Amino acid sequence: MPHGTQLTRSVALGAAALLSFGGGWLYLSFIGADGVSALDLLRTALFALSGFWLVWGGVAGVLGVLVPPKRTIPAPGRPEGMTAILMPIYNEDAAASFSRIAAMNRSLVGLGIAERFHFAILSDTNSMEVAAEEVIRFEQLLHEPMAAGRMFYRRRERNTGKKAGNIEDFVSRSGGAYDYALILDADSLMDGATIAEMARRMDEDERLGLLQSVPQVINARSLFGRLMQFSSAYLSPHFACGTARMQGEEGPYWGHNAMVRVKAFAASCGLPVLSGKPPAGGHILSHDYVEAALLSRAGWKVEVDPYLGGSFEEGPENLIEYAKRDRRWCQGNLQHRRLLGAPGLKFWSRFTFVQGIMAYAASPLWLALLATSILDEALRSRYWWRSNETGIWVLAVAVAVTLLLPKLLILVRSTIGGRNKRFGGILRAPLSVICEIVISTLLAPIMLCFQSKAVTEILLGLDGGWPATNRSEGRVGLALAFAASWWVTVAGAMVTAVALAFAPGLVPWLLPVALPAIGAPLLIAATSLGISSRRKPILFRTPSETAPAAVIVEQQQIYLSWTQQGSTLPESATPGVTPVPA
Amino acid sequence: MKYDSSMDFPGGLPDAPLAMPKQVLERQRTPLFTALRAVFAAARPRA
Repeated sequence: MPHGTQLTRSVALGAAALLSFGGGWLYLSFIGADGVSALDLLRTALFALSGFWLVWGGVAGVLGVLVPPKRTIPAPGRPEGMTAILMPIYNEDAAASFSRIAAMNRSLVGLGIAERFHFAILSDTNSMEVAAEEVIRFEQLLHEPMAAGRMFYRRRERNTGKKAGNIEDFVSRSGGAYDYALILDADSLMDGATIAEMARRMDEDERLGLLQSVPQVINARSLFGRLMQFSSAYLSPHFACGTARMQGEEGPYWGHNAMVRVKAFAASCGLPVLSGKPPAGGHILSHDYVEAALLSRAGWKVEVDPYLGGSFEEGPENLIEYAKRDRRWCQGNLQHRRLLGAPGLKFWSRFTFVQGIMAYAASPLWLALLATSILDEALRSRYWWRSNETGIWVLAVAVAVTLLLPKLLILVRSTIGGRNKRFGGILRAPLSVICEIVISTLLAPIMLCFQSKAVTEILLGLDGGWPATNRSEGRVGLALAFAASWWVTVAGAMVTAVALAFAPGLVPWLLPVALPAIGAPLLIAATSLGISSRRKPILFRTPSETAPAAVIVEQQQIYLSWTQQGSTLPESATPGVTPVPA
Repeated sequence: MKYDSSMDFPGGLPDAPLAMPKQVLERQRTPLFTALRAVFAAARPRA
């Protein structure tokens, strides 16, 4: 491992441990001023543990701003290896997915390097109507330039192993024909120059097993979607820089917009079916983290390059769709607890698994801290925070700084570096960051409830299955929002009522969490509202809107031309927005 | 364009199999009772 990576990891882990331990000590000194009880110790442990992951997230952002990794100079020349561009699909909007393939192909053809790249659409679709549409769109794809012999489509009758099984099926049947595979999602879109650059990097570095790009969210229409889009374009690259700095050659794989060396992938990433039934056993759901760990175990380099650019994806348009996706990821990440002791894994891979687990387990921990605080207040009938008002404000400010510091640093750096011009200008960009902070703070308690519910369900053995992702529909009516989140409202109201009755001193501190929870249906419905396509939005502007990449424009034109041809397709079976079951 | 089940596409995916062996991710755990029995069985003098 490079010395720099080791040092960065040590500093980051040390800083997170020191700050969370210090915060825990301060917290205990405040709440235990009149004697430390067992409940105080439990609350302190919850505070320190949750705080560690909060600080850890912040450290990545701060590192990304202060000590970003070096840029890799683009390699000259044409890619030599053969690359298969794989798009696994599952009951998706076929016109949208296939038009992305068409746009990427045109981009590669335009660069004069298309002969080194083949496309394979790997369908796991089980809806006959969607499958029929896929066939038609593939016919259209075959009319694209240089399509003959370079475009393939196949559909599996049985979806064994889901997405990981779909890729594995391709590798075991056709992998020997390719040096590299660019793995995409149905909503992935990549610029030809970026794809070529990734292939060249693979050519140059024979130890490179996987190269991950940092995709930016595009084509968002709702307030929620555009918030995510802005966040992914403005903030995420810096967080990714910090992450890349810490991970070094044991980087992440996010399952899409990444290139793998096929022989390395085949030899190292055959995933077993875990013993036992889902959700803990069965097929590995969050396969990407595991595949990255397996490549590292086999000695291959796994790297993320935040500077690559030209890598795009679409995101959920409302909080319900986001929560549905989160439920799937939560189940996958919690399944990784079975793999913590897997033989031969590197320390960082195991730590990444823990990090993924804590990304979800932290939510119930925060709720437990809330519940034990109310309980303690009710049992002792004292308002400790009044006697330690200054101290508790110090802690509150420290938590706020931990949450906000990375975003504010990114804002300062972008202002100094002139980056804000691409995000609406020197006034709109800071305003967008402030609104992002406000809205994400309002939505955080709702996500906390959804994640806590997901963790509870999984620990109770309830399998969430493999719901198709709806990437199109955004608007959620109040009735639908209420159907999905009434229990969040009830929980928020109950916590407030209990606090009012037994711990009134805590109520002001609970309100920032309880009020958004009570208003969950309203917030979900309001943030799902779309923007007028005729007016340029004031907030959350991104370069993909102000100066979209050529491949984005091309894809939109192809999609429009395909869908306006008046095909006699059956009714699209794109699933509508369905509430997360309560 | 209308979907027809007789539609055919030129050229399938290349026939180039690549083995993808299953990786070991779970440690084989032997229940304590089974392990003890195996130890005693090994220690017992053979006739």
